[in-house]
Amino acid sequence: MSYAVLRVDDFALHALRRSDPGLAGRPVALIAGEGRKAVVAEVSPEAAPPAGAVAPGLPVTLAMARCPGLLLRPRDPAAELEAGRLLLAAAFALSPRVEHTAAGCCTVDLQGTDPARTGAQMHRCAAELARLGLPARIGAAATPLLAAYAARSAAPVRLVGDAPGFLTPLPLAVAEPSPLQAEILEGWGIRTLGALTALPKAEVGRRLGADGAALWERAAGETTRVLRLVEPARIFAAEWAYEPPVESVEPLLFRLRRFAERIALELRAAGCVAEALALTLRLEDETDYRREFALPEPDGDVDRWLRVLHAHLETVRTAARVAGVRLVAAPIRAPVKQDGLFDTGLRDPARFWENLARLGALVGGDRVGTPVPADTHRPDAFTLERPADTVPPAPPPPVHPPRGPVLRRFRPPAAAQVELGEDRPVALVSAPARGRIRAAAGPWRAAGDWWKPEAWAVETWHVELAGGGIYQLARTAAGWAVEGTLD
Amino acid sequence: MPAAPSTLAALRSLLAARFPERIRKPAGRVATGIAAVDEALGGGLAAGRLTECVAAAPGGGAQLVLAGLLASTRAARQRLALVDGADGFAPEAVPADHLRHLVWVRCRGAAEALAAGDLLVRDGNYAVIALDLRGLPARALRRQPATGWYRLQRAAEGGAAAVLVLTPCPLVPAAPWRLVLHPSLTLAHTRRPRPAVADGVAVALERGAARPEAAAMEELAG
Repeated sequence: MSYAVLRVDDFALHALRRSDPGLAGRPVALIAGEGRKAVVAEVSPEAAPPAGAVAPGLPVTLAMARCPGLLLRPRDPAAELEAGRLLLAAAFALSPRVEHTAAGCCTVDLQGTDPARTGAQMHRCAAELARLGLPARIGAAATPLLAAYAARSAAPVRLVGDAPGFLTPLPLAVAEPSPLQAEILEGWGIRTLGALTALPKAEVGRRLGADGAALWERAAGETTRVLRLVEPARIFAAEWAYEPPVESVEPLLFRLRRFAERIALELRAAGCVAEALALTLRLEDETDYRREFALPEPDGDVDRWLRVLHAHLETVRTAARVAGVRLVAAPIRAPVKQDGLFDTGLRDPARFWENLARLGALVGGDRVGTPVPADTHRPDAFTLERPADTVPPAPPPPVHPPRGPVLRRFRPPAAAQVELGEDRPVALVSAPARGRIRAAAGPWRAAGDWWKPEAWAVETWHVELAGGGIYQLARTAAGWAVEGTLD
Repeated sequence: MPAAPSTLAALRSLLAARFPERIRKPAGRVATGIAAVDEALGGGLAAGRLTECVAAAPGGGAQLVLAGLLASTRAARQRLALVDGADGFAPEAVPADHLRHLVWVRCRGAAEALAAGDLLVRDGNYAVIALDLRGLPARALRRQPATGWYRLQRAAEGGAAAVLVLTPCPLVPAAPWRLVLHPSLTLAHTRRPRPAVADGVAVALERGAARPEAAAMEELAG
């Protein structure tokens, strides 16, 4: 599982319903088009078949006749924007690499995450979004396309490990054939992805052209792509304009709760909590009422924020109706763990170890850690160990500090040709450096493990080239090599 | 609707009133232990910011800067992450005790290094994140999209870690500070104590001011 897709069906309708408390539990239809050409675009379950027999594409007049209590609403871009940000915030809880694929759809790069842990996180994420009025389906698989297919049939989470077994029974429509392709394939008796991919790709391409070959690749789940990543929220703010303006506390509190729910998710994804809230009421007379609230304890608890805001709003009397509201949370790093009196631990141990695991998946588990030099004079001998939970106090500085610039290695060492004059290197030819040698120091000879098959012996020189730069040369039985630079 | 601001200062004041959350507080500093570098940066690397250090030629002392950061963070008992793009760090070249707080990520190229840096900058457990891109082909580095650097800079601004990017050529468009290390080390330096060698490092500040936040805050207040 490398990718996850979060998908909200009927996204515009869900965004509208979570924005308007009056629509809860009632039959609602979103309309597209105007006048006589208006048709139903999305419909709530209360009005959908079999209850109300209203389906997308139905003319509005017919829909009203079939479902007399049907509430018709146009799309609400502001509500969709707010719902979209909520979905993104939920996606960032899974990974920092998120693409906003389309309205109501996000793709998440999960590479390096622990599959077992991520599976549980996805279930929590789906449950939380459903609680916030945005029921999402989440699919996870090896490619973005497969994850998108999985999300369509998820209830609410589907993890796909066996791609061929998952794809074979899916209907052909999942791969989105053009109408002409669908008609041709229907004529061939091809109705599932498995039936299409059972045909040789080259033959499909020969008969249906490049588009047919692309359809075959989509049916096989082979198509992959680079995600267009979006940034996680850095300003934790939300704003709403009321039309018409409001004059009671309830609509304000409803809106503030929606804001707070989204902002809390964004803060959590960023590893932060709120230390203060700033509330601005935009009044009808074009003046602003502003108030800042320092929270007693920095946290991400929405109910606690709302209690603070509610207690204050109950006491506010304004000269004009409220035409808009803005809420801003001031972020602070979550004090996940308090340092002990004598140790310096990790601020956020879960994130630290999770990121180490992700780094291990990215570069290799044996290439991340804390280096510990081996107890030998053998060049470049060290082990990588698990980082310590706490950083111990530093010992007193050594009486004799290390000398000279610091070595930076070429791994592996670069083979070199060295010209000697009076037993000293006088010229160097190698890939990283070449030229006359201005000064040389050495040799320092070392050998070890002579009783083992991996016995070693090395003669080390430090040389300064006429063109600048100090290099460490090593002479072994295999010949000369440039080990690194002294920088 | 308020009248349009007529001066830059008025525009700044208006923005400060409209977006109070964007006013940046002066960041803390992490000393590198290299006098010339700390002086150029006004005390060290700024926390929550990205600093580019260009080491075009060997002998500039970039590895000394890394060793200095290892020493100063070790003394403060903080953690340092080294994303080593070309896998060049030599653990035996610094005192063993200066490695106890280090997380070393040995990468095999620019893409891996940038992806690792992107993860670490968001971690919140590190005081310094050093992204060492020296030794990587300049073509591979220039192929990395500029948006990746801006993404890194914005992520750094959201955290408390100082981010140092060591590059073989000017590369990071988003870095508020760019230092250039000039080759200054000779073979004679190899016999001197390391603190004395560090005193010989020659640095030029190519971009940024020693205390840009202080200047900005003063201007805003004025």
